[in-house]
Amino acid sequence: MSEELRWNFDDLVQMAVTGRVSQPTIRRGGYTPWPDGTGVMLPGMSGIVYNARVGDRAFGWAGDHVEPGVSIANADERADYALHYLTCIGNEAEVTTGLARGARGIVTGEHARLLVDFPPETLEEMTIGDTVQIESCGRGLRLENHPDIEFKKTSPALARALGLSVTDGRVSCPVAMELPARIMGSGAELNSEFVDQDLMSGDRALMADLGIDQMRLGDLIGIRDVDHRFGRSYRKGWTAVCLCIHGDSVMTGHGPGILTLITGPSDQLDFHIDPTANIAETLGIRGKP
Amino acid sequence: MTRRNDLATNEVDLVSVSVAGTVAHPGFPGLPAEPYRLAADGTPFLLPTYGGIVYNVSVGDRAFGWAADCIHPGVSIHQADDNQNRGLNVFACVGNRAKVMSGSAAGATGVVTGKSGRFSEQVIVHFPREVRTRMAVDDQVLVRSEGVGLSLVGHPEVALKGIAPGLLAALTVKEEEGHVAFGVVAQVPAHLAGAGLGLTSQGGSLHIQSTDRTLLAELGLDRLRLGDLVAFEDTDSRYNHGHLRGARAIGVVASTDGPRAGYGPGVAILMTAPAGQLGSFDAPDANLFELLKLED
Repeated sequence: MSEELRWNFDDLVQMAVTGRVSQPTIRRGGYTPWPDGTGVMLPGMSGIVYNARVGDRAFGWAGDHVEPGVSIANADERADYALHYLTCIGNEAEVTTGLARGARGIVTGEHARLLVDFPPETLEEMTIGDTVQIESCGRGLRLENHPDIEFKKTSPALARALGLSVTDGRVSCPVAMELPARIMGSGAELNSEFVDQDLMSGDRALMADLGIDQMRLGDLIGIRDVDHRFGRSYRKGWTAVCLCIHGDSVMTGHGPGILTLITGPSDQLDFHIDPTANIAETLGIRGKP
Repeated sequence: MTRRNDLATNEVDLVSVSVAGTVAHPGFPGLPAEPYRLAADGTPFLLPTYGGIVYNVSVGDRAFGWAADCIHPGVSIHQADDNQNRGLNVFACVGNRAKVMSGSAAGATGVVTGKSGRFSEQVIVHFPREVRTRMAVDDQVLVRSEGVGLSLVGHPEVALKGIAPGLLAALTVKEEEGHVAFGVVAQVPAHLAGAGLGLTSQGGSLHIQSTDRTLLAELGLDRLRLGDLVAFEDTDSRYNHGHLRGARAIGVVASTDGPRAGYGPGVAILMTAPAGQLGSFDAPDANLFELLKLED
């Protein structure tokens, strides 16, 4: 018999934060090296991405760190941190300027910018510099009867969509795949309230062996033996449930971006494999859940 | 310095060039931010961290147990300008000679013993304790850089990173056709590689994660000393640091442990190879203090 989930939804504050559609940039020099040093120049971060959307594959794009949908940032540093720290996955967004004014989207990731999904027809009307306003909500989210499990960047909408179940006091989340802790890479130097940690895809044979190369943007991901509460570190007996937010990378130590959503002791937090655990479906981004 | 191997290198072709830095001042974020950093368990802490002249922590001392967060032993130098600092951090090689060029300790000589990466980006220089007492923040330290471009003639697949030819010559080596192994104090399993993954391997450092203290003790890694040579298993550090089965990266423990998640002792990587061309063997005394004959 599954225990009831008691969320504190009624205590969460909803607050507007904004960003503008970003322009892609290229570093001086431009080339990004593959692990063997071969330099390439590829599109990826920032801007409006027309053809890579949550639900699509994370691997195989001729791109680096492809950010699906629309990437927005706030030019004021302090406001930008508010955009980063208050926005949660599954929050609703609205275009407030330009030809697409009034169009609505859903937050699907946080990278160096916030990533927002809009329907393809809305993208046709959007331009660099358009303002997108997010109704942020989710900071402080918790399960009343599971205080040791910590939620990060999880909106009430996503919380409902996760499909959590509780058996014998242990919360379990469906995930599309499991990643071994030893391949978690770039982002280890950051706090875990900020952006993501890339899985390291440089061992291509390992990606194929474990089926990691089948990952999709928006997949829920489980990792054992990591503690993601205040940074992301290896620790036996802890578990994290994460979200794939951006595409693969050629760079050593990089790969698809894995953003922390839930972390807790493994005797209280678990996950189980369900290949359909992707927010494109569960949040109804690409059709009804 | 004692030559302990006869590895063939292109040392005669290396260009030796000056890079300078000034003694760094420790820094904390401004108000209204709290001065605290968070430990891996969320506990706020306020402890000395990188930068400055450190009087009582030196290469050869323990890397664990200090009331500190990733302290650099000896003296840390940097350049205020990012591009110039990058030049310093990349070109200064572990084992290079350094010289104090201004202030009361002008003329004193030291040795580069490490580097640090993202958020600190300083070069770590050993000076004898007596010299440190005469040094001041902002003193200029000149490094006679030599080592970028160094390669092993018989082992082209081994990429050398920021290692002085003199230090390379001082290492204990076991060489075979197509394979070269170096003596190290410890091997670090891939799942304990932390901050530094995905970041540049030209300069900077790769930290040994120390959140799981039980595991660290099991592996004996908590007995590491500053200056110890260590090998990261399954780690490819040719262009950034990352996971690759069969690859190996060898470096030197450059900074102390610290309480933050993802962090622990910082290791300045000195060499790497992608597919079994680089090995390591147990050498409990492989420490810079002895290898470079540092003066206490």
